[in-house]
Amino acid sequence: MTTRARKGRLGWLRRRRGACLAFATLVGVSVITLLPFYWMFSSSLRTMDTMFSLPIQWIPNPPNWGSYLRAWHAQDFGRYFVNSAVVSVSITIGNLLLCSLAGYSLTKFSYRWRGTAFILILSTMMLPLEVTMVPLFLIIKRLDWLNSYQGLVVPFLVDGFGVFLMRQYMLSIPTDLLNAARIDGASEFRIFWMIVVPLSKPALVALAVFTFREAWDMYIWPLIIITRDSLRTLPLGISLFMSSYGTAWDQLMAVAVLGTLPMILLFFFLQRAFIQGIASTGIKE
Amino acid sequence: MARQAAFGRLIILPTLAILFIFRFLPMLQAIYLSFTRYDLVHAPRFIGVANFIDLMRDPLFLNAVRVSFTYVTCSVIPVLPLSLGLAILFNRSLVLKNMLRSAVFMPVVMPAVVMAVVWTFMYEQDGVINTILGWLNIDPVPWLRSSATALWAVILIGIWRATPYYMVIFLAGLQAIPGDYYAAARIDGANAWQVFRHITLPLIRPTTLLVIVMNVIVAIKVFAVPTIMTQGGPADSTRVLPLFIYQTAFEFFDMGHAAAMSVFLFAAVMAFSFIQVRIFTQREDSQ
Repeated sequence: MTTRARKGRLGWLRRRRGACLAFATLVGVSVITLLPFYWMFSSSLRTMDTMFSLPIQWIPNPPNWGSYLRAWHAQDFGRYFVNSAVVSVSITIGNLLLCSLAGYSLTKFSYRWRGTAFILILSTMMLPLEVTMVPLFLIIKRLDWLNSYQGLVVPFLVDGFGVFLMRQYMLSIPTDLLNAARIDGASEFRIFWMIVVPLSKPALVALAVFTFREAWDMYIWPLIIITRDSLRTLPLGISLFMSSYGTAWDQLMAVAVLGTLPMILLFFFLQRAFIQGIASTGIKE
Repeated sequence: MARQAAFGRLIILPTLAILFIFRFLPMLQAIYLSFTRYDLVHAPRFIGVANFIDLMRDPLFLNAVRVSFTYVTCSVIPVLPLSLGLAILFNRSLVLKNMLRSAVFMPVVMPAVVMAVVWTFMYEQDGVINTILGWLNIDPVPWLRSSATALWAVILIGIWRATPYYMVIFLAGLQAIPGDYYAAARIDGANAWQVFRHITLPLIRPTTLLVIVMNVIVAIKVFAVPTIMTQGGPADSTRVLPLFIYQTAFEFFDMGHAAAMSVFLFAAVMAFSFIQVRIFTQREDSQ
């Protein structure tokens, strides 16, 4: 290497010192954020007698896929998975429909009490489940919805924050467009379905991802109202497995992988929407 | 026109009905129950403020408040510089930026229950964390087994999961700052610290406030992680308020005391969520 080339490279390094430092820091942080994922997956492939062996066997050899099978047989994880999927998808669809209808109503129609309705909806954000769970349990009990899909889904079909999100987005839809459709004789429902919904697609995708993540994560509510095994959701199943097979780490990590996989897939296919969904909890759309 | 307004009213009705039945009604009922003795079997009996007086003297309740307070302060404060710092690092051109951002974002994707299980495993006495500490010549830490460290272990993973979440929100805030400001500062010869101190920090203030408020609300509600990892132990050191409410209501069937604690929790959350709602509606005025 000639001196000049070296000087050039050093100069480049000096100029890019900030970028290099940033890069190195972020690689370090990535190790911390990814290690639990890696450790979860690799441990699910270990056998129990090599679980804590030293030096650390970073790549289990041979991989022990048996842990997945044994966990699958120990408890009805297929059923829990389906339950979680049914509940999360229902809640997500409900929010997409109801939040966008409410948001549409709050932006493009004028009627008495509209402002009051908006404030009421926003103020439900001050009532987290942890505060209302005791009486909510009594209400669900009175409706005879303990141990039922309705009990898991209906209270969460709409959310104050989701309405807020859709409303903010729909403010930017030009009202003239809707009026033009009205003059052409389109029905109100048709206008909503054919114009408003397609125009709100970015907000809807963000809302869907955000809602699905929260629903998939839900733990305290199913813990309170579900006692029947056939209705347990995946988080309940995993925590139950943990309390009954506490040290069967290979199987525990296998079910942990099962619980995380749908979220990882969702993240990789809808990465932009995922990050947008989180970002929209903070900024004005 | 009247038909239009009717349609507008009609489509908001289901939302209002659901929120009324499943949010407002339970809140009102929680306030009512907090003044009663109720065990789910006998009818609620009005006893005035006796539940609240009991709570003020109940060492378990006071412990839960203290644990929750420690959890909230110690998990919210470190997240601020960490998430803002990461956001600043990502708010520039970088090699492999998208890949790194996805990697750093991953904790947000892990469900809370899974996180509790995986970290319990990693915190084991001869688990991977103590092994890594061993490389650095640090003695093994008893993590979840000791009342001196259990809460810190729980706080640590709260930070692990919250940091990337708020990083994304900070990043959105940073990207809203016009590039001209930075260009002008550079022309005036400002160094990186001055730019941060006099441009980034003041302009990111509304986002910072929102992040603090959101993070406090999330932290006050933490339940799954301490419940699964330690069931509140050892020696009540991780028995946060929502866990204690849950146990009072659904293990001891003491709905009156549980409701009184819920009202207390509501008051604590409300101060913060009120600011959040204000921030949301203030934007309204500026629009």
